[in-house]
Amino acid sequence: MTHLAEGPTRVALRRSLARWNLELETGRPPIRYGFSVVCVAVALGAALACRRYGFRPEELPLFDLAIVVATWYAGVGPSVLAVVLSAACFDYFFTEPLYSFEVSTEDLPRFFVFIAFAAITAWFMGALRATSTVSLPARSDLNLPEQARAAWYSRLLPLVPLATALCAGAIFVADTVTTTDIAFSTLYAVVVLMAARFCSAEGIIRVAVGCVALTGLSYYMSPPGGLEFAGIVNTGIGLAAIGLVTLLAVQQKTAEASLQERVSEIRKLNQELSKRARELEMSNNELESFAYSVSHDLRAPLRHVDGYSELLQKHASSSLDEKSRRYIQTILESSRRMGKLIDDLLGFSRIGRAETKKTLVSLDQLVKEAVAEIGQDTSERDIVWKIDPLPVCYGDRSMLRLVIVNLLSNAVKFTRMRAQAEIEIGCVDGEHEVEVFVKDNGAGFDMQYANKLFGVFQRLHLPEQFEGTGIGLATVRRIIHRHGGEVRAEGRVDQGATFYFSLPKAQDAAERTANRP
Amino acid sequence: MSELGRVLLVEDDPRDVELSLTALEEYHLANEVVVARDGEKALDYLYCRGEFSTRSNGNPAVMLLDLKLPKVDGLEVLQQIRSDERLKLIPVVVLTSSHEEKDLIRSYKLGVNAYVVKPVNFHEFVNAIKELGVFWAVINQPPPGSMKKAP
Repeated sequence: MTHLAEGPTRVALRRSLARWNLELETGRPPIRYGFSVVCVAVALGAALACRRYGFRPEELPLFDLAIVVATWYAGVGPSVLAVVLSAACFDYFFTEPLYSFEVSTEDLPRFFVFIAFAAITAWFMGALRATSTVSLPARSDLNLPEQARAAWYSRLLPLVPLATALCAGAIFVADTVTTTDIAFSTLYAVVVLMAARFCSAEGIIRVAVGCVALTGLSYYMSPPGGLEFAGIVNTGIGLAAIGLVTLLAVQQKTAEASLQERVSEIRKLNQELSKRARELEMSNNELESFAYSVSHDLRAPLRHVDGYSELLQKHASSSLDEKSRRYIQTILESSRRMGKLIDDLLGFSRIGRAETKKTLVSLDQLVKEAVAEIGQDTSERDIVWKIDPLPVCYGDRSMLRLVIVNLLSNAVKFTRMRAQAEIEIGCVDGEHEVEVFVKDNGAGFDMQYANKLFGVFQRLHLPEQFEGTGIGLATVRRIIHRHGGEVRAEGRVDQGATFYFSLPKAQDAAERTANRP
Repeated sequence: MSELGRVLLVEDDPRDVELSLTALEEYHLANEVVVARDGEKALDYLYCRGEFSTRSNGNPAVMLLDLKLPKVDGLEVLQQIRSDERLKLIPVVVLTSSHEEKDLIRSYKLGVNAYVVKPVNFHEFVNAIKELGVFWAVINQPPPGSMKKAP
């Protein structure tokens, strides 16, 4: 669904981005931890270079940046490693006495501030990463309207600390602000981000406004350079950082709220669905037990009607007149017909319930078998069989056999009055399906009743003309439908009929079955 | 026809009982038929308890068992018989209206000797019962311990 709204390039780009993120995050531990070590090493190199070339040594933003990148791309473990390594590097290279792991009393507060910042940054980035890995893919599946924008803003997320750090670095180089100024800006940004996790959209905005006011106030109040150029720049950076973070947080929050809504909607639909499934299963079970009691309980009284009529016929035959004997005969015939109807109906319902065991089936072979079977009963008739080569299909052999037998015996039955019956079996090969037809020169039918042909117990001829209950074509249709095909018929009164059924080709059918939930 | 085995007919429907006995009568097998009208009665007979506590010992030569029975159904009776050392050899023929595959499978899994669907047509029904009676009570050699009676 999402794909319709976006160009293929964007989709590919997004996919490859996602893959890269995901692969690094789910990659093997050596790669992830190695990435973390590399980040810290680069930061250390940059910090040492700064000191070497006479810039004011300010390492905190560089190491913070390393931690941010490691956490965002490599996950929790590497993040902790980055914090520990950064702290160690800071301790060794940047606290008095230099090049030792000892820390002088004067530098101890600076060291603790460093660790606190590193830890907060890591924790925060980790939390943010976790929420976006969960919510972004979910959102792209859901195709929310806010999704595109939110995803775009979220991708900017790692840039926020980066931008802050870069600007801060620039100002440090210019030697105009102190760690405290930067710490305040960053702290405000962090407060806003925390608010983003725990507050509503309005709450976030309120916190952000508060932070902005505080920042402004602090810079205004700070003597003596309250409104100097550097101060204004720094205030601007702080405001921009807070603004961007706020925007992001609000976006995220709105998208999350909408996501939540969708999720609860889905949950509701899901419950509805499983309720339906349960109902369906129950009604299926009921249907099964219904068929069972039909098969068991309905037949018993029928057997008694038949049995006792027969006994009556035997016992009282001599004392009954012709009319009474005919009545008894009719009772017997009716009970037998009802027995046949019950059996047919049960067979029909069994086909609907039975599992299809699909394999490759040679229709050629099936037709050969069916013709041989039918031929035994029709040896005294003159039937010309014309059988074209037929393909191999994918389906339930015994069911497809029933289809062929039903169609062929119909053709034989309805050509009974012909001196020479002609029955042709052939197929039309389509791209995805094959259509098999059985054509005869028999009684045919009126096309305006064609839709009734495949109904259960629907018959277009009188029982005196052609026997049968009218279950054959209904069975054919049910089996073909269960194979994903269609049935149809063409005919004209007294000029024969052609019955068609289509089956998906072997490969298509295999796919179709595989895709079916 | 040297000797006849006793037939235990387990059938709840009185009409089916009558029709079955009528069918067996034609071969003079009806006298040796004991009718149990539910699964519990059938087990009572086999274990010689309740109203059958005074019957002469020995197992029937064959048991014709309906599946749908009050109290204890046919499959439960079959299971009980097959799990009892003293009864497990009794030949059991399920005689039922049910065509259902699951009944067939369960019956055979429980070790039934034959499964016969009662035909609706009376002639076929009579033939089926007669053939069953003749085969199991006359032609078949029942396991040792079955009741036999000289004709």
